[in-house]
Amino acid sequence: MRRAFLHRVDEMIKNEPDTVFFTVDIGMWAIRDVLRGYPDRCMNVGIYEDGMFGFAAGLARRGLVPTIFGIQPYLTERTLEQIKMDFAYQKLGVNVVGTGAAVDYPKYGYSHYCAEDVGAIKLIPGCEFAAPGTAKQFLQLFNQSYRNGKPTFFRVSDHPNRTLDPDVEFGKANVIKTGSKATVIAVSVLLDAVMEACADEDVTVLYYTTLEPFDRETLARNAGSGKILIAEPEYRGSLLYDIHEALPGRPLRIAQVAFPREIFRNYGTYDEKMRYYGLTARSIREKLTDLIG
Amino acid sequence: MEQISKELRKTALRLSHICQDGNLQSVFSCLDIVWALYDKVMNWSPETAEDENRDFFIISKGQATLALFPVLIEKGMFTLDDMKNMGKFDSRFCIQTDVTKFRGGVENSAGSLGHGMPFGAGLAAGSKIQGLPSRVYVLAGDGEFCEGTMWESCIFASAKKLDNFCVVVDDNDSVGAMVDMGNMSAKLRAFGFDVFSADGHDLAALERTFAQAKEPDGRPKAVVAKTVRGYGSKTMMENDIWFHKAPNKEELAMLTKEVERF
Repeated sequence: MRRAFLHRVDEMIKNEPDTVFFTVDIGMWAIRDVLRGYPDRCMNVGIYEDGMFGFAAGLARRGLVPTIFGIQPYLTERTLEQIKMDFAYQKLGVNVVGTGAAVDYPKYGYSHYCAEDVGAIKLIPGCEFAAPGTAKQFLQLFNQSYRNGKPTFFRVSDHPNRTLDPDVEFGKANVIKTGSKATVIAVSVLLDAVMEACADEDVTVLYYTTLEPFDRETLARNAGSGKILIAEPEYRGSLLYDIHEALPGRPLRIAQVAFPREIFRNYGTYDEKMRYYGLTARSIREKLTDLIG
Repeated sequence: MEQISKELRKTALRLSHICQDGNLQSVFSCLDIVWALYDKVMNWSPETAEDENRDFFIISKGQATLALFPVLIEKGMFTLDDMKNMGKFDSRFCIQTDVTKFRGGVENSAGSLGHGMPFGAGLAAGSKIQGLPSRVYVLAGDGEFCEGTMWESCIFASAKKLDNFCVVVDDNDSVGAMVDMGNMSAKLRAFGFDVFSADGHDLAALERTFAQAKEPDGRPKAVVAKTVRGYGSKTMMENDIWFHKAPNKEELAMLTKEVERF
């Protein structure tokens, strides 16, 4: 996914003179040509995310299309006030592409984990959040939104879905399958695990890669059972507000497969973490069995 | 004090009275700087307020926005009557700024310190990328330089050779009450700025200084303007309660008289 993004950056800088790219000291090898060839618009700008967001807002105000690449917690938490003041409040656009969330740097400790990115960004009105499940989907979502004048955040993962790779549309959920006993919301890189668990079950599976704006209509049309299982690779509850808003006045039974809201003090591998916190096909199947009885 | 400086202060007092809020010490500290920029320095007029070649004034020390509005009124961008609902529920005007409510005249949403300077640096970089002649003037407080983003902007402006960028430090020694900042001019020079000093209440001196601070030498500019909080009103200069206080009717009359006699 990262490689696809950086290739897109190379192409964008070469062909679209109103685009500007900042990296916070990562990914330079992949874009070394444009870093050398277009120093005014393609920059390894320095390790100062807060200020960088302000610079990018100024560029946007001058009609340019800025894109920023860095490590997710520093792009979404360190900079929270810049996102609010410089972009949301002033109605300016930026593309922020973050790597590392939620636990893609599994040996680095909590400083590099970022299960709260979705919740944090969704709290600031006017921001958008995309979490593609594959490289192809990243490009689809990026290309559909990168010039829309809004602060749009992209979570790129080093652990994409390997089996399923449907085309996606920014702001729309995919109906992967329909059934009657429950609705399973598969978010981003958890689609493979969800389908491994649910392929033979009589349930609806909806696939979400845009988390803000959340496609409430598709959920409202596909939640007849009132039983919802959310499988999301972020902190538990990051999407609950939207789910309740999508289904007002409906008695709901909701089960969740997600990271618990706690500070992760373990290391190891990505797979170890996913197993430990129960973000697996097995856990999804168990929760679904509990939910539909 | 020149008559225009008195008139601007009287308007600021009226606006503060209308909306019953304001940081008048800070406003009086920087009013002459803002006027000098709009009257003598910047390529800006109400008619060209949305022109892509215009110069930008960015208010980074948002608490002094009441210094911007009197200048814009004097220049004909707004009238005092436009602002009679200032601070009311559905007004365009408040103690700070919301850029989305304006088409020209206000260039940024201010309020939180440490945002205007990086935003202005981005505007300056964007102007260079697009080959536009705009210059960007950022008004910052000396106390605001405690914010890390101010120094991040210094690194960026210097590295990107933004000689179309000028930060104006309203140096009224606010920082002195907090920390010993050391020598502001030396610090900015060390970051790669062409640094100039001026009496921030002397309009002619400010004009001369800003004229010098235009050298296209690849270095960003800083004008450290020495100012006094509450300058133009003896009461405000002496009593720090005017750091954050709005005048009632009697105080408005008293302060207006004081400004006129200053």
